[in-house]
Amino acid sequence: MDLLIQLTLNGLFNGAHFALLAMGFALIFGTTGVVHFAYGPVYAVGAYAIWALAALVGLPFWLAVLLGIAFTAALGVGCYLFIYRPFEISGSPPFVVLVASLGLFIVMKNLIGIVFGTGVKTVDSVAYDVHFVGNAFFTTVQLGQVAAALLVGCGIALFLRASRYGKAIRAMADNREMATVIGIDTTRLSILVFALGSAVSAVAGALVLLRDGLNPNMGFGAVFVAFVAVIVGGVGSLRGAVIAAFLLAFVQSLGMWQIPTEWQNTIVFVVLFGFLLARPSGIVRRA
Amino acid sequence: MTEIHTMPIAEPVLEVRGLSAGYGKRAVVHEVDLTVRAGEIRVLLGHNGAGKTTLVRSVFGLLRPSAGTVRYRGEDITRRRCADNVKAGIALVPQGHGIFRSLTVRENLELGAYTAHDPAEIRANRDAVMDLFPILRERAGQIAGTMSGGQQQMLAMGMALMHRPDVMILDEPSIGLAPNLVQRVMEAIAEVNRALRMAVLMVEQNVVHALPIAQSVTVLRTGRKIYEGPPEPLGDRQYLMTLF
Repeated sequence: MDLLIQLTLNGLFNGAHFALLAMGFALIFGTTGVVHFAYGPVYAVGAYAIWALAALVGLPFWLAVLLGIAFTAALGVGCYLFIYRPFEISGSPPFVVLVASLGLFIVMKNLIGIVFGTGVKTVDSVAYDVHFVGNAFFTTVQLGQVAAALLVGCGIALFLRASRYGKAIRAMADNREMATVIGIDTTRLSILVFALGSAVSAVAGALVLLRDGLNPNMGFGAVFVAFVAVIVGGVGSLRGAVIAAFLLAFVQSLGMWQIPTEWQNTIVFVVLFGFLLARPSGIVRRA
Repeated sequence: MTEIHTMPIAEPVLEVRGLSAGYGKRAVVHEVDLTVRAGEIRVLLGHNGAGKTTLVRSVFGLLRPSAGTVRYRGEDITRRRCADNVKAGIALVPQGHGIFRSLTVRENLELGAYTAHDPAEIRANRDAVMDLFPILRERAGQIAGTMSGGQQQMLAMGMALMHRPDVMILDEPSIGLAPNLVQRVMEAIAEVNRALRMAVLMVEQNVVHALPIAQSVTVLRTGRKIYEGPPEPLGDRQYLMTLF
């Protein structure tokens, strides 16, 4: 029973982490149509930046997080303006942008290894509590992940529903050409969603730095799970991406009850294939 | 050889001169002249692939013309951004999905006024559009993609009217609609033209339904203008067949 509770708790906390990653990726992919695989290393670089500011520069952790979020947002915008935008202007087909994204992924991932080394990076200056439910346990950082996912999710939903730019983002995600026709500046909106999506990934990065520490390969798992969550959730649906993120986390976590740990990613693939076969448009279908 | 008939004189709103356009190296429209005058409905006819859509996309700024000029109220707007054309008073209702299907009718209308910033003006325009198309008031909270084709076309026109344009360009508003709905959409276009004294440039293939509301007609064949004049001569089926 304790094991089941622990796995359920892990599912909840991993779900919150996956949901943060999926929301950022969904914002970018759903709005611009760019399969931004470099989202993974952008998230990793953001987390490393927070680590460097806190552990090397010695800034208070909260300030390091704020600066790290701003830096990650700028990095995301840089990816769009200097890598993807030129392809957009030249009218390149989507697969060319996809290849560029994969190239950027590899370059950034290797740069992280070269600059920061391959060892795990942690921050010792932040203390956190451990809480118990029977013999199962969780930490304050994991609670923070759930709180962050809730806050960020509600914030983005409110922004998309109530603000002028938010509605424009939903419009662009629905029909990009029509958005241009009514006078929306789609380039400016793309810059905005790359900034927002990348900033959200930095929040996830800050929390994972406290929970697990950082390694140069962390970007792959992040973009992998975010991509699957967006596809399973239904492209263009933030709500769907969040539901799918929790679904994946629970399936992964509870699957470990009977299945060895090394099969975790395989479970994600099985969920993806199952959904693509049974419900190709994802959990949340659009009109 | 282009046939030119005598036209009623009114102030030109949109003037296209020698416009050529295409996709990559493939030229689709060749040196077309076209004038839309204040308050008129000009119908742009032509068979599939005649270059009608390419022409209006170039006029609106969605496609860069390779040659020629587009003037709006005397100002050269060739190669100007769509957003600036919308602000200046030009609206386009594109072919097919001229709406945001996953958003509500109310949100679609509000987005139609994206370039406007005064909330009171936006509300007033929305009320005016809903008065013109009462079905949009009834369905304000409905997801636009779940409405019928005719209602979606009304919404697309309503969105275009939300920023009070001087000229509305419609790209095949009858496409995919049942004949009775086509009739209703054409009546709505004529009503918009009458009530708001708005110039309309309408691309159509549906000659039967489009001609009755047209005040002037341009016919394209393989990217070239082959007729410009009043709609009446085109009512003669045999004459029309010689053009097509």
